[in-house]
Amino acid sequence: MKISKKIIDNLKKGGVDFYLSVPCKLLANMIDILEKDKEVYYSAVPREEEGMGICAGAYLGNKFPCIMMQNTGIGNSVNAIVSLLQLYQMPVVFLISYRGTPGEPVGAQGGMAKITEDILQTLRIPLLHCTSENDLEKISTFSKHAKVVESPVAILCDFNLMKDDK
Amino acid sequence: MNRFDLLNKIQNILKDNLVICNIGLPSQELYKINDQPNFFYMLGSMGLSSSIGLGLSLSQNKHVISIDGDGSVLMNMNTLATIGNRAPSNYTLLIIDNGSYGSTGDQRTFTDENTSLKDVALGAGCKKVIECSGEETLNELSKAIEDKNNSYVIISKINSGNVKIDPIPLNPITIRDRFRKFIGIVKYL
Repeated sequence: MKISKKIIDNLKKGGVDFYLSVPCKLLANMIDILEKDKEVYYSAVPREEEGMGICAGAYLGNKFPCIMMQNTGIGNSVNAIVSLLQLYQMPVVFLISYRGTPGEPVGAQGGMAKITEDILQTLRIPLLHCTSENDLEKISTFSKHAKVVESPVAILCDFNLMKDDK
Repeated sequence: MNRFDLLNKIQNILKDNLVICNIGLPSQELYKINDQPNFFYMLGSMGLSSSIGLGLSLSQNKHVISIDGDGSVLMNMNTLATIGNRAPSNYTLLIIDNGSYGSTGDQRTFTDENTSLKDVALGAGCKKVIECSGEETLNELSKAIEDKNNSYVIISKINSGNVKIDPIPLNPITIRDRFRKFIGIVKYL
């Protein structure tokens, strides 16, 4: 719970006040925290691409949105990212559980893991890769950066960083 | 009645609300009829008009009308489940259902065959789902906006067909900023 709490605290410190998630085992603690948090909006959504649309609307309505998802969700969302969030220059934080990185028990997750960073780089999305607890301190400043540059940004959280967060 | 006729008929109610308008001909027709700063024209991301409007209605108190099409809703049908569980009362989804992909040459959609978006919306958990003719749409839209306790999905069954029209000349940042200025967020314009 310590890691998850630190991530949410830093997102909130960065101004994020609207959260969506498509679930992942590694995000479960964060979802628990957000469901109990009365200061921010939180909802589950069925699909990441739809979540990008809801985040865009939330931004138009003066919220600072974050969508939490597995890295597979980036694959589901490429057109929405490019032709909505980037086209209209909308700041949205992607908080991504980086499945398929070392420690991952499910071999099939390796495929998207191999191309996740390439996709984000191709999309020119600023990236913060969190591999240890110390990296989490950077999340608040990095989130604020999304608003400054009016762009979606991505935070990748490695499997081993999240897996023991009981 | 086709989409252009319908948008003409409901333009006075649209101009008093926040409108998210679907990509392609719906936005181009709306722009031509009576451009307003409180109209957000989609220039990409087909399928997400319903979702953008939902996020907007959850974030501020003004009434939001998402103008969507049957083809676009078929592309993002999971959104009806999110609307059925989360939409606040300041949200109305207007699906202009002409049974065809108008912007791409009027190819038939599945609503012209076996699919009923009304049944899908009800099954997805939307409580107030109205299917009506183009002529009845203005009245149904007024009632939906007046009801302060419920969100609505209105499926307006009209004929296919488009008018010859130019692309929207506004750039995306102009659309974004004048829309947010109307809400009261952007102060620098």
